[in-house]
Amino acid sequence: MQSHGGQVHRLHDHDPSADDVTDAMSPARFARRRLLKSALFGGAKDAGVLSPAESTNALNSEATHTVIGIVLDVSPHVLVLQTAAGEQRLTLAASTAAWRGGDVAPAALRQGDRAIAKRNYVRKAIADRIWAEIGRVTGTIVERDADTLLVDEGTEKGRKILVIPPYATGRIQVRFPRLQPGYLIDVIGLRRPGFVEALIPATSQPPYRADQPPRPPMVSGHVPDSISGTATWHEPGEEAEDLLGVAYPALDPETGCPGHGHARPGEAVAPPDDPAHCAGDFRRAEHYAVDPHLAGPGCVRLPYLSLGSVLQIRNECVPRARDLPVTSCGAAARLFCDRCVVCGTSPRGRVADLTMSAFVDLGGDLASGCFNATITIGG
Amino acid sequence: MLSAIREVQIPLLAAMLLAGCGTKAVRVLRTREMGAALGPTALFPLRLRRPIAIGLCATEMGLGIALILTAGRFGAGLPATLVRAGMTLLFLIAVGALAELRERRPDAGCGCFGDLSVTPVGPRTIARSVLLAVAAVATVGQAPLTMPASASAAAVSIGLLGGEFLLIALLSPEIGEAMIRLGYSEPCEIRRVSVERTLSSLTGSAPWRRYASTVTSAAPADIWREGCWRYVLYRGEMDDRSVDVVFAIYLRSRRPQVRAAVLDAVTNEVLTGLPARTRAAQDPRGDRSAAGEQAGLDDVRGQIPGQIPGLDGTWPLCPQPQVAAPRPLDVTRPLAPGRPLTGLTAPGTDDRRPRIARHRSSVHL
Repeated sequence: MQSHGGQVHRLHDHDPSADDVTDAMSPARFARRRLLKSALFGGAKDAGVLSPAESTNALNSEATHTVIGIVLDVSPHVLVLQTAAGEQRLTLAASTAAWRGGDVAPAALRQGDRAIAKRNYVRKAIADRIWAEIGRVTGTIVERDADTLLVDEGTEKGRKILVIPPYATGRIQVRFPRLQPGYLIDVIGLRRPGFVEALIPATSQPPYRADQPPRPPMVSGHVPDSISGTATWHEPGEEAEDLLGVAYPALDPETGCPGHGHARPGEAVAPPDDPAHCAGDFRRAEHYAVDPHLAGPGCVRLPYLSLGSVLQIRNECVPRARDLPVTSCGAAARLFCDRCVVCGTSPRGRVADLTMSAFVDLGGDLASGCFNATITIGG
Repeated sequence: MLSAIREVQIPLLAAMLLAGCGTKAVRVLRTREMGAALGPTALFPLRLRRPIAIGLCATEMGLGIALILTAGRFGAGLPATLVRAGMTLLFLIAVGALAELRERRPDAGCGCFGDLSVTPVGPRTIARSVLLAVAAVATVGQAPLTMPASASAAAVSIGLLGGEFLLIALLSPEIGEAMIRLGYSEPCEIRRVSVERTLSSLTGSAPWRRYASTVTSAAPADIWREGCWRYVLYRGEMDDRSVDVVFAIYLRSRRPQVRAAVLDAVTNEVLTGLPARTRAAQDPRGDRSAAGEQAGLDDVRGQIPGQIPGLDGTWPLCPQPQVAAPRPLDVTRPLAPGRPLTGLTAPGTDDRRPRIARHRSSVHL
């Protein structure tokens, strides 16, 4: 097992001499699409031009109920976080729960921890729940060395190293009996320098290999606007950590995901920029890497959308809903044909892979890994 | 009559066994994974699933072939009895396994016919297994098969065979699945359509001809898709002001609907475009083939209150493929009358001139 030092991203050919399409990839382009649609189909004044106040919804503003930052200080009554917007002080009530590898008292959080807190929906100064140093690894096992796994999270998110400590091995293997290259894994754990320490299985391991997900049921007529399934969360990666958005599993393959078509099962691509990454190991790992775009549509039929499209996502367990833009490619979620059982049993298939902030804001518990969700296409 | 019924069981059961093995083999070839087989193998530990799946398929094929070989005088007697007893045992085990599967894995299909057997095991599937087990029992001790003595006897045999196949078909959820697959057409929302094809449809449309002289960029400035619609944005110029010309193309193979609108590139004022609000609003879900499709989405959007977070563009950028322009300024194509090819710029350049005057018009397509 070679060292990757945390996330390893594939290199994609990128033509620096791009034409107008790629030149115009300013973020405002995605925001403007909604206005252009309105001009085509009417309702321009309703949708209108998004004013700066509308188009910018910083995480730490009052519009959200999530705060992400570094723990500066924690006492039995107050938590101080250093966020992108400055210091945030949250009151710790008797009911405030905290997670740091397991349920702990809020005062057990440590200075320097990366924490995400959910505010109380009514009394916003109070933190309802705090998760510290929580991480997640979701993808295809491409290499294993004893208790260390190299997991490919898809063409966009790269790879992560997952270490399963002895005390968690039994718990993980009950739900993931095949810790072998080519099979899927999805676990939640503690972030460590360069790797994630696996603690909790986020789902049960699908019995199929990652490149052979079952076919979805056929749809007659049109795909319904509202689709139910599982909503999960992912770590920010290269996104802003306070981003409220969703990685959508079915971006238009013609214009959607970066890296699409660049890697096929068994086909070697340019090795990551890591001197410890020898060519032999790379080829072996690449043999098991799966490009989700080539593995079929997944087990739920989702309409093709693009970055910037807006979804309404409803947490059926709370219930709470909000509009979220598609901010990244979540094709890897198509590989999982699982159900969420947080509140009842959801239909099979992952319909949204939310950012941590969005997941918490919608009332999800990061340690549970999912909530039963219904998405409505619109925007 | 009873003898005729017993006689037709052998070819019928042989056909069922070989079909079962064949469809399972097709699934294995497609998935390249024997352990991924459906059905009762799911009841076993992981390490046993693969050998059991292989053994089941091999047993079906072996029994099917042996049943045919021992149906006549060749192999009559003990070999035929052993083959038929083995087949009977197989079907009796199948009945028990399916009942157990229904109890322990109610979401699993029986896997009897590979990919077609994805419907959860129900009473129909179990009844079919019982029928086949009874048919297998009926073959034990059956005399070697011979050609029918008369045309009427042959007709009776064929009729019985057809009737039993029909009964099995009625008990088989796989028939419905196969019919669906034969007549299935993917909805436009999930149909892959290339950008080149979309642009080809666009250039053949009336809105394109109407606005071709306005377009100044050789390549689209933006392309995106939402459901059945693909949107293409071009830079343009109208009356010495920089404009954006946006087209919406319905992703249909023949004569797709195309809409167009022109917006001021600086102020976002809609200069020309479809007053589609009325049409969309009048038919919110009726005609999903075009306007109604979008109207439905608009309705949903209208019900969603609050802000759209994240639209500050802080998400990572997504490179898009370089797409050649669909002859946007092809002088050989007929252009709208009175529209000179002004404002022609090199591909990728953005020759925006100061806005001079406002211009508003309405275009009905």
